[in-house]
Amino acid sequence: MRRGRSRRRFSGIYSNKTNPKGFHPSQIKFYVILLPLAAFMLLPTIFIFSHAFKPPDELFAYPPRFFVINPTTKNFADLFSRMGNSGVPVSRYLFNSILITAVTIAASMLVSTLAAYALSKKRFKLKKTLFAINTVALMFVPIAVTIPRFLIIEKLSLMDTYFVHILPVLALPVGLFLIKQFIDGIPDEVVQAAQIDGASDVVIYWRIIVPMIKPAIATIAILTFQAAWNNAEISTLYINSESLKTFAFYLSTLTATTAGANVVAGQGMAAAAALIMFLPNLIIFIILQSQVMNTMSHSGLK
Amino acid sequence: MTTPKIGRCRGLTHRSREAVYGYAFVLVWIVGFALFTAVPLLQTLYYSLNQVTVTATGISLEHIQWQNYTRALFTDPTFVQLLIEYAIETLVAVPIILIFSLIIALFLNLKFRFKGIFRTIFFLPVVITSGPVIQELVAQGATSVPGLAISATATEYIAQLPDYFRNPIEYLLTSFILILWFSGVQILIYLSSLQKIDQSIYQAAAIDGASAWESFWKITLPALSTTTLIVAVYTIITLSHFSENKVIKYIYSQTYAVGGGIGYASAMSFLYFFVLFLLLTVIYLLLNYRAKRQFG
Repeated sequence: MRRGRSRRRFSGIYSNKTNPKGFHPSQIKFYVILLPLAAFMLLPTIFIFSHAFKPPDELFAYPPRFFVINPTTKNFADLFSRMGNSGVPVSRYLFNSILITAVTIAASMLVSTLAAYALSKKRFKLKKTLFAINTVALMFVPIAVTIPRFLIIEKLSLMDTYFVHILPVLALPVGLFLIKQFIDGIPDEVVQAAQIDGASDVVIYWRIIVPMIKPAIATIAILTFQAAWNNAEISTLYINSESLKTFAFYLSTLTATTAGANVVAGQGMAAAAALIMFLPNLIIFIILQSQVMNTMSHSGLK
Repeated sequence: MTTPKIGRCRGLTHRSREAVYGYAFVLVWIVGFALFTAVPLLQTLYYSLNQVTVTATGISLEHIQWQNYTRALFTDPTFVQLLIEYAIETLVAVPIILIFSLIIALFLNLKFRFKGIFRTIFFLPVVITSGPVIQELVAQGATSVPGLAISATATEYIAQLPDYFRNPIEYLLTSFILILWFSGVQILIYLSSLQKIDQSIYQAAAIDGASAWESFWKITLPALSTTTLIVAVYTIITLSHFSENKVIKYIYSQTYAVGGGIGYASAMSFLYFFVLFLLLTVIYLLLNYRAKRQFG
Protein backbone atom coordinates (compact mmCIF):
# COMPACT_ATOMS: atom_id res chain seq x y z
CA MET A 1 0.00 0.00 0.00
CA ARG A 2 2.71 2.44 0.98
CA ARG A 3 4.66 1.81 -2.18
CA GLY A 4 1.57 2.31 -4.30
CA ARG A 5 0.96 5.57 -2.56
CA SER A 6 4.37 7.01 -3.09
CA ARG A 7 4.07 6.30 -6.81
CA ARG A 8 0.98 8.41 -7.06
CA ARG A 9 2.15 10.99 -4.62
CA PHE A 10 3.42 13.32 -7.30
CA SER A 11 -0.01 13.97 -8.72
CA GLY A 12 -0.86 15.84 -5.58
CA ILE A 13 -3.19 13.50 -3.79
CA TYR A 14 -3.62 12.44 -0.18
CA SER A 15 -3.43 15.77 1.46
CA ASN A 16 -6.23 15.94 3.94
CA LYS A 17 -4.07 17.28 6.74
CA THR A 18 -1.48 19.98 6.45
CA ASN A 19 1.24 18.14 8.30
CA PRO A 20 1.40 14.37 8.35
CA LYS A 21 2.30 12.77 11.65
CA GLY A 22 5.29 10.75 10.67
CA PHE A 23 8.49 11.43 8.87
CA HIS A 24 9.47 9.05 6.13
CA PRO A 25 12.81 8.93 4.30
CA SER A 26 10.95 9.28 1.01
CA GLN A 27 10.15 12.84 2.01
CA ILE A 28 13.79 13.87 1.89
CA LYS A 29 13.67 14.60 -1.83
CA PHE A 30 11.04 17.29 -1.22
CA TYR A 31 13.26 19.05 1.25
CA VAL A 32 16.18 18.93 -1.16
CA ILE A 33 14.14 20.85 -3.71
CA LEU A 34 12.07 23.05 -1.46
CA LEU A 35 14.66 24.20 1.06
CA PRO A 36 16.88 26.17 -1.37
CA LEU A 37 13.81 27.75 -2.96
CA ALA A 38 12.42 28.60 0.44
CA ALA A 39 15.71 30.29 1.24
CA PHE A 40 15.26 32.51 -1.82
CA MET A 41 11.78 33.37 -0.70
CA LEU A 42 13.05 34.41 2.71
CA LEU A 43 15.78 36.64 1.26
CA PRO A 44 13.86 39.92 1.09
CA THR A 45 12.65 39.65 4.67
CA ILE A 46 16.12 38.87 5.96
CA PHE A 47 17.48 41.70 3.87
CA ILE A 48 15.14 44.27 5.41
CA PHE A 49 16.21 43.30 8.91
CA SER A 50 19.87 43.14 8.08
CA HIS A 51 19.80 46.40 6.13
CA ALA A 52 18.26 48.40 8.96
CA PHE A 53 21.16 47.63 11.27
CA LYS A 54 23.96 48.46 8.83
CA PRO A 55 26.41 51.23 9.73
CA PRO A 56 26.96 53.90 7.00
CA ASP A 57 30.06 52.32 5.49
CA GLU A 58 28.21 49.06 4.90
CA LEU A 59 25.14 50.80 3.50
CA PHE A 60 27.28 52.35 0.80
CA ALA A 61 29.67 49.45 0.32
CA TYR A 62 30.35 48.46 -3.24
CA PRO A 63 29.66 45.76 -4.24
CA PRO A 64 26.65 45.89 -1.91
CA ARG A 65 26.70 43.42 0.95
CA PHE A 66 23.64 41.43 1.80
CA PHE A 67 24.27 40.69 5.46
CA VAL A 68 25.24 43.19 8.12
CA ILE A 69 28.67 42.67 9.65
CA ASN A 70 28.83 45.21 12.47
CA PRO A 71 25.21 45.72 13.47
CA THR A 72 24.40 49.11 14.95
CA THR A 73 21.23 50.70 16.26
CA LYS A 74 22.39 54.17 15.27
CA ASN A 75 19.92 54.32 12.37
CA PHE A 76 17.05 53.87 14.79
CA ALA A 77 18.48 56.38 17.24
CA ASP A 78 18.73 58.95 14.43
CA LEU A 79 15.20 58.24 13.35
CA PHE A 80 13.73 58.46 16.82
CA SER A 81 15.56 61.66 17.65
CA ARG A 82 14.10 63.18 14.51
CA MET A 83 10.65 61.98 15.46
CA GLY A 84 11.00 63.85 18.75
CA ASN A 85 11.29 67.15 16.87
CA SER A 86 8.19 66.83 14.73
CA GLY A 87 5.36 69.36 15.01
CA VAL A 88 2.53 66.87 15.21
CA PRO A 89 3.09 64.04 17.69
CA VAL A 90 4.10 60.78 16.04
CA SER A 91 1.31 58.96 17.86
CA ARG A 92 -1.17 61.02 15.86
CA TYR A 93 0.19 59.73 12.55
CA LEU A 94 0.19 56.22 13.93
CA PHE A 95 -3.39 56.57 15.11
CA ASN A 96 -4.44 57.85 11.67
CA SER A 97 -2.74 54.97 9.91
CA ILE A 98 -4.19 52.32 12.19
CA LEU A 99 -7.71 53.73 12.00
CA ILE A 100 -7.60 54.17 8.24
CA THR A 101 -6.14 50.73 7.63
CA ALA A 102 -8.64 48.98 9.88
CA VAL A 103 -11.68 50.71 8.40
CA THR A 104 -10.40 50.24 4.85
CA ILE A 105 -9.90 46.50 5.30
CA ALA A 106 -13.28 45.94 6.97
CA ALA A 107 -15.23 48.07 4.53
CA SER A 108 -13.54 46.89 1.36
CA MET A 109 -13.89 43.25 2.37
CA LEU A 110 -17.61 43.76 2.92
CA VAL A 111 -18.12 45.63 -0.35
CA SER A 112 -16.10 43.22 -2.50
CA THR A 113 -17.48 40.02 -1.02
CA LEU A 114 -21.08 41.23 -1.31
CA ALA A 115 -20.55 42.30 -4.90
CA ALA A 116 -18.60 39.15 -5.73
CA TYR A 117 -21.35 36.95 -4.29
CA ALA A 118 -24.00 38.70 -6.37
CA LEU A 119 -21.89 38.60 -9.53
CA SER A 120 -21.10 34.94 -9.04
CA LYS A 121 -24.29 33.37 -7.75
CA LYS A 122 -27.19 35.74 -8.39
CA ARG A 123 -28.90 36.00 -11.74
CA PHE A 124 -29.62 39.40 -13.16
CA LYS A 125 -29.24 41.16 -16.45
CA LEU A 126 -26.17 43.32 -16.08
CA LYS A 127 -24.12 40.77 -14.20
CA LYS A 128 -21.87 39.70 -17.08
CA THR A 129 -21.43 43.29 -18.25
CA LEU A 130 -20.47 44.48 -14.80
CA PHE A 131 -17.82 41.83 -14.41
CA ALA A 132 -16.48 42.54 -17.88
CA ILE A 133 -16.22 46.23 -17.03
CA ASN A 134 -14.39 45.31 -13.85
CA THR A 135 -11.93 43.15 -15.75
CA VAL A 136 -11.26 45.92 -18.23
CA ALA A 137 -10.81 48.43 -15.40
CA LEU A 138 -8.31 46.03 -13.90
CA MET A 139 -5.99 46.75 -16.77
CA PHE A 140 -5.83 50.47 -16.20
CA VAL A 141 -2.89 51.78 -14.32
CA PRO A 142 -3.95 53.60 -11.17
CA ILE A 143 -1.88 56.66 -12.06
CA ALA A 144 -4.07 57.21 -15.10
CA VAL A 145 -6.93 58.28 -12.87
CA THR A 146 -5.01 60.27 -10.27
CA ILE A 147 -5.86 63.70 -11.60
CA PRO A 148 -9.53 63.19 -12.52
CA ARG A 149 -9.95 61.52 -9.15
CA PHE A 150 -8.48 64.59 -7.55
CA LEU A 151 -11.12 66.75 -9.24
CA ILE A 152 -13.96 64.49 -8.15
CA ILE A 153 -12.72 64.41 -4.59
CA GLU A 154 -12.55 68.17 -4.63
CA LYS A 155 -16.09 68.44 -6.00
CA LEU A 156 -17.45 66.12 -3.33
CA SER A 157 -15.58 68.29 -0.81
CA LEU A 158 -13.82 65.25 0.56
CA MET A 159 -10.47 66.99 0.65
CA ASP A 160 -8.88 66.97 4.07
CA THR A 161 -11.14 64.33 5.60
CA TYR A 162 -10.62 60.77 6.72
CA PHE A 163 -13.03 59.67 3.99
CA VAL A 164 -10.59 60.46 1.26
CA HIS A 165 -8.22 57.83 2.64
CA ILE A 166 -10.89 55.17 2.61
CA LEU A 167 -13.53 55.76 -0.07
CA PRO A 168 -11.40 55.67 -3.23
CA VAL A 169 -9.86 52.31 -2.38
CA LEU A 170 -13.11 50.57 -1.39
CA ALA A 171 -14.16 49.36 -4.82
CA LEU A 172 -10.84 48.02 -6.06
CA PRO A 173 -11.15 45.83 -9.16
CA VAL A 174 -8.44 43.35 -8.11
CA GLY A 175 -10.19 42.31 -4.91
CA LEU A 176 -13.49 41.72 -6.65
CA PHE A 177 -11.76 39.78 -9.43
CA LEU A 178 -10.03 37.36 -7.05
CA ILE A 179 -12.93 36.91 -4.64
CA LYS A 180 -15.38 36.23 -7.44
CA GLN A 181 -13.11 33.49 -8.77
CA PHE A 182 -13.11 31.86 -5.35
CA ILE A 183 -16.90 32.08 -5.02
CA ASP A 184 -17.21 30.58 -8.50
CA GLY A 185 -15.44 27.57 -7.03
CA ILE A 186 -18.31 26.95 -4.63
CA PRO A 187 -20.78 24.60 -6.28
CA ASP A 188 -24.17 26.13 -7.12
CA GLU A 189 -25.82 23.16 -5.44
CA VAL A 190 -24.70 24.41 -2.04
CA VAL A 191 -26.49 27.71 -2.57
CA GLN A 192 -29.53 26.00 -4.04
CA ALA A 193 -29.79 23.59 -1.14
CA ALA A 194 -29.80 26.52 1.25
CA GLN A 195 -32.45 28.26 -0.83
CA ILE A 196 -34.67 25.20 -0.68
CA ASP A 197 -34.25 25.19 3.07
CA GLY A 198 -35.59 28.72 3.03
CA ALA A 199 -32.42 30.67 3.68
CA SER A 200 -32.51 34.28 2.61
CA ASP A 201 -29.76 35.86 0.56
CA VAL A 202 -28.28 37.59 3.57
CA VAL A 203 -28.16 34.29 5.45
CA ILE A 204 -26.63 32.49 2.47
CA TYR A 205 -24.02 35.19 2.15
CA TRP A 206 -23.14 35.34 5.82
CA ARG A 207 -23.50 31.69 6.86
CA ILE A 208 -22.37 29.88 3.73
CA ILE A 209 -20.37 32.03 1.35
CA VAL A 210 -18.24 33.95 3.83
CA PRO A 211 -17.11 30.93 5.87
CA MET A 212 -16.28 29.05 2.68
CA ILE A 213 -14.12 31.75 1.17
CA LYS A 214 -12.30 32.68 4.37
CA PRO A 215 -8.91 31.85 2.84
CA ALA A 216 -9.62 34.18 -0.07
CA ILE A 217 -10.78 36.90 2.30
CA ALA A 218 -7.64 36.50 4.38
CA THR A 219 -5.50 36.72 1.24
CA ILE A 220 -7.18 39.85 0.00
CA ALA A 221 -7.04 41.28 3.50
CA ILE A 222 -3.26 40.88 3.51
CA LEU A 223 -3.02 42.63 0.14
CA THR A 224 -5.42 45.40 1.19
CA PHE A 225 -3.55 45.91 4.41
CA GLN A 226 -0.37 46.58 2.53
CA ALA A 227 -2.02 48.93 0.08
CA ALA A 228 -3.60 50.91 2.90
CA TRP A 229 -0.74 50.82 5.38
CA ASN A 230 1.99 51.75 2.91
CA ASN A 231 -0.03 54.45 1.20
CA ALA A 232 1.70 57.81 1.38
CA GLU A 233 0.30 59.05 -1.91
CA ILE A 234 -3.19 59.94 -0.69
CA SER A 235 -1.69 62.04 2.10
CA THR A 236 0.45 63.86 -0.43
CA LEU A 237 -2.30 64.52 -2.93
CA TYR A 238 -5.56 64.95 -1.08
CA ILE A 239 -4.63 66.01 2.45
CA ASN A 240 -3.34 69.40 3.43
CA SER A 241 -3.83 69.28 7.17
CA GLU A 242 -0.78 67.71 8.79
CA SER A 243 -2.83 66.04 11.54
CA LEU A 244 -4.75 63.88 9.03
CA LYS A 245 -1.75 62.41 7.26
CA THR A 246 -0.56 58.85 7.63
CA PHE A 247 2.44 57.28 9.26
CA ALA A 248 3.76 56.10 5.91
CA PHE A 249 3.72 59.66 4.65
CA TYR A 250 5.42 60.89 7.81
CA LEU A 251 8.24 58.37 7.54
CA SER A 252 8.79 59.20 3.89
CA THR A 253 9.20 62.90 4.72
CA LEU A 254 11.59 62.10 7.55
CA THR A 255 13.88 60.10 5.37
CA ALA A 256 13.65 62.28 2.28
CA THR A 257 16.98 63.95 1.71
CA THR A 258 15.31 67.32 1.27
CA ALA A 259 14.29 67.28 4.91
CA GLY A 260 17.69 68.64 5.81
CA ALA A 261 19.32 65.37 6.71
CA ASN A 262 22.53 64.65 4.89
CA VAL A 263 22.51 61.83 2.38
CA VAL A 264 24.40 59.38 4.54
CA ALA A 265 22.20 59.70 7.60
CA GLY A 266 19.13 59.78 5.32
CA GLN A 267 19.99 56.37 3.87
CA GLY A 268 20.44 54.83 7.29
CA MET A 269 17.19 56.28 8.55
CA ALA A 270 15.41 55.14 5.42
CA ALA A 271 16.57 51.60 6.09
CA ALA A 272 15.40 51.79 9.69
CA ALA A 273 12.08 53.33 8.62
CA ALA A 274 11.61 50.59 6.05
CA LEU A 275 11.93 48.02 8.80
CA ILE A 276 9.45 49.86 11.02
CA MET A 277 6.98 50.13 8.14
CA PHE A 278 7.50 46.50 7.27
CA LEU A 279 6.96 45.01 10.72
CA PRO A 280 3.14 45.50 10.81
CA ASN A 281 2.94 43.87 7.37
CA LEU A 282 4.81 40.88 8.70
CA ILE A 283 2.71 40.70 11.87
CA ILE A 284 -0.58 40.85 9.95
CA PHE A 285 0.77 38.26 7.57
CA ILE A 286 1.68 35.90 10.40
CA ILE A 287 -1.72 36.36 12.04
CA LEU A 288 -3.69 35.81 8.84
CA GLN A 289 -1.57 33.19 7.13
CA SER A 290 -2.89 30.38 9.30
CA GLN A 291 -6.36 31.34 8.04
CA VAL A 292 -5.05 31.32 4.50
CA MET A 293 -3.28 27.99 4.79
CA ASN A 294 -5.49 25.92 7.07
CA THR A 295 -8.92 26.68 5.77
CA MET A 296 -7.62 26.22 2.27
CA SER A 297 -7.57 22.47 2.74
CA HIS A 298 -11.28 22.13 3.38
CA SER A 299 -12.79 24.95 1.43
CA GLY A 300 -15.36 23.91 -1.11
CA LEU A 301 -16.83 20.49 -1.54
CA LYS A 302 -15.10 17.43 -2.77
CA MET B 1 -23.50 29.60 -14.23
CA THR B 2 -26.22 28.50 -16.60
CA THR B 3 -27.16 25.23 -14.98
CA PRO B 4 -30.95 24.96 -14.60
CA LYS B 5 -31.92 25.80 -11.06
CA ILE B 6 -33.83 23.35 -8.99
CA GLY B 7 -36.76 24.60 -7.03
CA ARG B 8 -37.43 27.70 -9.09
CA CYS B 9 -40.85 28.96 -8.29
CA ARG B 10 -43.31 31.08 -10.22
CA GLY B 11 -41.15 32.68 -12.88
CA LEU B 12 -41.33 36.44 -12.70
CA THR B 13 -41.70 37.16 -9.01
CA HIS B 14 -38.80 34.97 -8.11
CA ARG B 15 -36.69 36.21 -10.92
CA SER B 16 -37.29 39.84 -10.18
CA ARG B 17 -36.62 39.28 -6.51
CA GLU B 18 -33.40 37.58 -7.49
CA ALA B 19 -32.50 40.60 -9.59
CA VAL B 20 -33.37 43.07 -6.84
CA TYR B 21 -31.15 41.24 -4.37
CA GLY B 22 -28.44 40.96 -6.97
CA TYR B 23 -28.41 44.69 -7.67
CA ALA B 24 -28.68 45.52 -3.98
CA PHE B 25 -25.58 43.48 -3.22
CA VAL B 26 -23.54 45.11 -5.97
CA LEU B 27 -24.91 48.59 -5.46
CA VAL B 28 -22.29 49.92 -3.05
CA TRP B 29 -19.59 48.55 -5.26
CA ILE B 30 -21.12 50.08 -8.39
CA VAL B 31 -21.32 53.52 -6.77
CA GLY B 32 -17.74 53.38 -5.51
CA PHE B 33 -16.48 52.00 -8.77
CA ALA B 34 -18.31 54.54 -10.91
CA LEU B 35 -17.26 57.46 -8.77
CA PHE B 36 -13.61 56.70 -8.27
CA THR B 37 -12.70 54.52 -11.22
CA ALA B 38 -15.12 54.66 -14.15
CA VAL B 39 -15.78 58.40 -14.24
CA PRO B 40 -12.09 59.30 -13.78
CA LEU B 41 -11.24 56.90 -16.59
CA LEU B 42 -13.63 58.62 -18.99
CA GLN B 43 -12.21 61.93 -17.89
CA THR B 44 -8.72 60.64 -18.64
CA LEU B 45 -9.85 59.53 -22.07
CA TYR B 46 -11.14 63.03 -22.68
CA TYR B 47 -7.90 64.57 -21.44
CA SER B 48 -5.89 62.37 -23.75
CA LEU B 49 -7.48 64.16 -26.71
CA ASN B 50 -6.61 67.58 -25.35
CA GLN B 51 -3.69 69.76 -24.51
CA VAL B 52 -4.20 70.15 -20.77
CA THR B 53 -2.74 73.12 -18.95
CA VAL B 54 -3.10 73.62 -15.24
CA THR B 55 -3.74 77.25 -14.40
CA ALA B 56 -4.30 79.03 -11.14
CA THR B 57 -8.07 78.96 -11.61
CA GLY B 58 -8.38 75.38 -12.75
CA ILE B 59 -7.68 73.30 -15.81
CA SER B 60 -7.86 74.64 -19.33
CA LEU B 61 -8.33 72.32 -22.27
CA GLU B 62 -7.51 72.74 -25.89
CA HIS B 63 -8.78 70.09 -28.26
CA ILE B 64 -5.97 68.65 -30.36
CA GLN B 65 -7.52 65.38 -31.59
CA TRP B 66 -5.02 62.53 -31.78
CA GLN B 67 -1.85 64.56 -31.47
CA ASN B 68 -0.99 63.21 -28.04
CA TYR B 69 -1.22 59.68 -29.38
CA THR B 70 0.80 60.31 -32.50
CA ARG B 71 3.40 62.08 -30.42
CA ALA B 72 3.73 59.12 -28.05
CA LEU B 73 3.93 56.60 -30.86
CA PHE B 74 5.99 58.39 -33.47
CA THR B 75 7.86 61.29 -31.91
CA ASP B 76 8.73 60.15 -28.41
CA PRO B 77 11.83 57.96 -28.62
CA THR B 78 11.58 56.50 -25.11
CA PHE B 79 7.95 55.52 -24.79
CA VAL B 80 7.70 52.97 -27.62
CA GLN B 81 11.05 51.51 -26.60
CA LEU B 82 9.82 51.06 -23.03
CA LEU B 83 6.54 49.57 -24.21
CA ILE B 84 8.30 46.95 -26.32
CA GLU B 85 10.67 46.11 -23.49
CA TYR B 86 7.74 45.77 -21.14
CA ALA B 87 5.86 43.49 -23.53
CA ILE B 88 8.87 41.21 -23.97
CA GLU B 89 9.57 41.09 -20.25
CA THR B 90 5.97 40.22 -19.51
CA LEU B 91 5.90 37.47 -22.10
CA VAL B 92 9.06 36.03 -20.54
CA ALA B 93 7.95 36.41 -16.96
CA VAL B 94 4.38 35.10 -17.21
CA PRO B 95 5.21 31.55 -18.31
CA ILE B 96 7.96 31.34 -15.70
CA ILE B 97 5.65 32.47 -12.93
CA LEU B 98 2.91 30.12 -14.11
CA ILE B 99 5.15 27.08 -14.29
CA PHE B 100 7.03 27.88 -11.11
CA SER B 101 3.90 28.47 -9.07
CA LEU B 102 2.26 25.33 -10.43
CA ILE B 103 5.29 23.21 -9.55
CA ILE B 104 5.53 24.70 -6.08
CA ALA B 105 1.80 24.25 -5.59
CA LEU B 106 2.09 20.59 -6.61
CA PHE B 107 4.91 20.12 -4.14
CA LEU B 108 3.10 21.88 -1.34
CA ASN B 109 0.08 19.72 -1.96
CA LEU B 110 2.05 16.57 -1.23
CA LYS B 111 2.43 14.88 2.09
CA PHE B 112 5.50 15.73 4.08
CA ARG B 113 6.50 17.25 7.34
CA PHE B 114 6.59 21.01 7.98
CA LYS B 115 4.45 21.54 4.93
CA GLY B 116 2.59 24.32 6.70
CA ILE B 117 5.80 26.21 7.31
CA PHE B 118 6.85 25.84 3.70
CA ARG B 119 3.50 27.11 2.49
CA THR B 120 3.90 30.16 4.67
CA ILE B 121 7.41 30.84 3.43
CA PHE B 122 6.40 30.64 -0.21
CA PHE B 123 3.53 33.01 0.42
CA LEU B 124 5.71 35.42 2.37
CA PRO B 125 7.09 37.45 -0.58
CA VAL B 126 3.56 38.80 -0.98
CA VAL B 127 4.28 41.24 1.83
CA ILE B 128 7.37 42.46 0.00
CA THR B 129 6.47 42.96 -3.62
CA SER B 130 3.70 45.45 -3.06
CA GLY B 131 5.59 47.45 -0.45
CA PRO B 132 8.23 50.12 -0.80
CA VAL B 133 10.96 47.69 0.26
CA ILE B 134 11.24 46.21 -3.19
CA GLN B 135 12.87 49.35 -4.59
CA GLU B 136 15.66 48.95 -2.09
CA LEU B 137 16.15 45.33 -3.07
CA VAL B 138 16.19 46.01 -6.79
CA ALA B 139 18.71 48.80 -6.24
CA GLN B 140 20.90 46.44 -4.24
CA GLY B 141 20.94 43.88 -7.02
CA ALA B 142 19.39 41.30 -4.73
CA THR B 143 17.07 40.18 -7.51
CA SER B 144 19.66 38.81 -9.91
CA VAL B 145 20.78 35.24 -10.18
CA PRO B 146 23.76 35.14 -7.83
CA GLY B 147 27.05 34.52 -9.58
CA LEU B 148 25.60 34.08 -13.03
CA ALA B 149 24.97 37.70 -13.84
CA ILE B 150 28.48 38.76 -13.03
CA SER B 151 30.25 35.78 -14.56
CA ALA B 152 32.44 37.04 -17.37
CA THR B 153 31.86 34.14 -19.72
CA ALA B 154 28.14 34.50 -19.45
CA THR B 155 28.26 38.23 -20.16
CA GLU B 156 30.59 37.64 -23.08
CA TYR B 157 28.29 35.03 -24.51
CA ILE B 158 25.15 37.10 -24.08
CA ALA B 159 26.76 40.11 -25.74
CA GLN B 160 27.12 38.03 -28.92
CA LEU B 161 23.40 37.42 -29.22
CA PRO B 162 21.13 39.57 -31.34
CA ASP B 163 19.11 42.22 -29.54
CA TYR B 164 15.70 40.60 -29.57
CA PHE B 165 17.23 37.51 -28.01
CA ARG B 166 19.59 39.24 -25.64
CA ASN B 167 17.08 41.50 -23.89
CA PRO B 168 14.87 38.72 -22.54
CA ILE B 169 17.90 36.76 -21.37
CA GLU B 170 19.40 39.74 -19.62
CA TYR B 171 16.06 40.43 -18.02
CA LEU B 172 15.94 36.84 -16.85
CA LEU B 173 19.38 37.00 -15.29
CA THR B 174 18.86 40.29 -13.52
CA SER B 175 15.33 39.69 -12.31
CA PHE B 176 14.94 35.96 -11.94
CA ILE B 177 14.45 36.05 -8.20
CA LEU B 178 12.14 39.00 -8.55
CA ILE B 179 9.99 36.90 -10.86
CA LEU B 180 9.88 34.13 -8.30
CA TRP B 181 8.84 36.56 -5.58
CA PHE B 182 5.79 37.40 -7.63
CA SER B 183 4.44 33.88 -7.29
CA GLY B 184 2.91 34.06 -3.81
CA VAL B 185 -0.75 34.58 -4.63
CA GLN B 186 -0.43 32.41 -7.72
CA ILE B 187 0.80 29.44 -5.68
CA LEU B 188 -2.14 29.94 -3.37
CA ILE B 189 -4.70 29.99 -6.19
CA TYR B 190 -3.21 26.83 -7.70
CA LEU B 191 -3.10 25.13 -4.33
CA SER B 192 -6.76 25.80 -3.65
CA SER B 193 -7.85 24.45 -7.02
CA LEU B 194 -5.60 21.41 -6.68
CA GLN B 195 -7.43 20.59 -3.50
CA LYS B 196 -10.77 20.84 -5.22
CA ILE B 197 -9.95 18.10 -7.72
CA ASP B 198 -11.90 14.99 -6.85
CA GLN B 199 -9.55 12.41 -5.33
CA SER B 200 -11.59 9.50 -6.67
CA ILE B 201 -10.64 10.42 -10.25
CA TYR B 202 -7.01 9.74 -9.39
CA GLN B 203 -7.94 6.49 -7.72
CA ALA B 204 -9.95 5.40 -10.74
CA ALA B 205 -7.08 6.32 -13.06
CA ALA B 206 -4.61 4.45 -10.88
CA ILE B 207 -6.79 1.34 -10.97
CA ASP B 208 -6.82 1.61 -14.74
CA GLY B 209 -3.03 1.60 -14.61
CA ALA B 210 -2.25 5.28 -15.12
CA SER B 211 1.11 6.39 -13.79
CA ALA B 212 1.54 9.54 -11.73
CA TRP B 213 3.02 11.24 -14.77
CA GLU B 214 0.03 10.32 -16.91
CA SER B 215 -2.52 11.37 -14.36
CA PHE B 216 -0.75 14.70 -13.98
CA TRP B 217 -1.09 15.43 -17.70
CA LYS B 218 -4.52 13.91 -18.16
CA ILE B 219 -6.25 14.85 -14.92
CA THR B 220 -4.46 17.58 -13.01
CA LEU B 221 -3.52 19.88 -15.84
CA PRO B 222 -6.88 19.89 -17.66
CA ALA B 223 -8.64 20.45 -14.35
CA LEU B 224 -6.45 23.49 -13.77
CA SER B 225 -6.98 25.16 -17.13
CA THR B 226 -9.47 27.76 -15.85
CA THR B 227 -7.25 28.40 -12.86
CA THR B 228 -4.27 28.91 -15.14
CA LEU B 229 -6.17 31.58 -17.01
CA ILE B 230 -7.04 33.39 -13.78
CA VAL B 231 -3.47 33.12 -12.56
CA ALA B 232 -2.19 34.45 -15.89
CA VAL B 233 -4.51 37.44 -15.79
CA TYR B 234 -3.59 38.16 -12.19
CA THR B 235 0.12 37.86 -12.98
CA ILE B 236 -0.04 40.26 -15.92
CA ILE B 237 -1.99 42.75 -13.84
CA THR B 238 0.42 42.68 -10.90
CA LEU B 239 3.44 42.89 -13.16
CA SER B 240 2.05 45.86 -15.03
CA HIS B 241 0.95 47.71 -11.89
CA PHE B 242 4.23 47.04 -10.09
CA SER B 243 5.64 50.32 -8.83
CA GLU B 244 9.08 49.63 -10.29
CA ASN B 245 7.62 49.13 -13.75
CA LYS B 246 9.53 51.39 -16.16
CA VAL B 247 6.55 52.36 -18.29
CA ILE B 248 4.61 53.50 -15.24
CA LYS B 249 7.59 55.44 -13.96
CA TYR B 250 7.90 57.15 -17.33
CA ILE B 251 4.22 58.05 -17.55
CA TYR B 252 4.38 59.34 -14.00
CA SER B 253 7.41 61.50 -14.73
CA GLN B 254 5.74 62.89 -17.85
CA THR B 255 2.58 63.87 -15.97
CA TYR B 256 4.41 66.62 -14.14
CA ALA B 257 7.15 67.29 -16.68
CA VAL B 258 7.32 70.63 -18.45
CA GLY B 259 7.31 69.13 -21.93
CA GLY B 260 4.76 66.44 -21.06
CA GLY B 261 1.56 67.35 -19.30
CA ILE B 262 -1.60 65.63 -18.20
CA GLY B 263 -3.03 65.19 -21.68
CA TYR B 264 0.09 63.51 -22.95
CA ALA B 265 0.37 61.24 -19.91
CA SER B 266 -3.30 60.27 -20.32
CA ALA B 267 -2.71 59.32 -23.93
CA MET B 268 0.23 57.18 -22.88
CA SER B 269 -1.85 55.51 -20.19
CA PHE B 270 -4.38 54.52 -22.81
CA LEU B 271 -1.71 53.20 -25.14
CA TYR B 272 -0.28 51.23 -22.24
CA PHE B 273 -3.74 49.90 -21.50
CA PHE B 274 -4.08 48.88 -25.12
CA VAL B 275 -0.80 46.92 -25.05
CA LEU B 276 -1.88 45.29 -21.81
CA PHE B 277 -5.16 44.35 -23.40
CA LEU B 278 -3.36 42.80 -26.38
CA LEU B 279 -1.10 40.81 -24.07
CA LEU B 280 -4.07 39.50 -22.12
CA THR B 281 -5.83 38.56 -25.34
CA VAL B 282 -2.79 36.66 -26.60
CA ILE B 283 -2.42 34.76 -23.34
CA TYR B 284 -6.14 34.11 -23.19
CA LEU B 285 -6.22 32.68 -26.71
CA LEU B 286 -3.13 30.56 -26.08
CA LEU B 287 -4.48 29.07 -22.87
CA ASN B 288 -7.95 28.60 -24.26
CA TYR B 289 -6.53 26.76 -27.25
CA ARG B 290 -4.49 24.52 -25.00
CA ALA B 291 -7.44 23.84 -22.73
CA LYS B 292 -9.67 22.91 -25.67
CA ARG B 293 -7.09 20.61 -27.13
CA GLN B 294 -6.65 18.78 -23.88
CA PHE B 295 -10.31 18.21 -23.39
CA GLY B 296 -10.94 17.24 -27.00
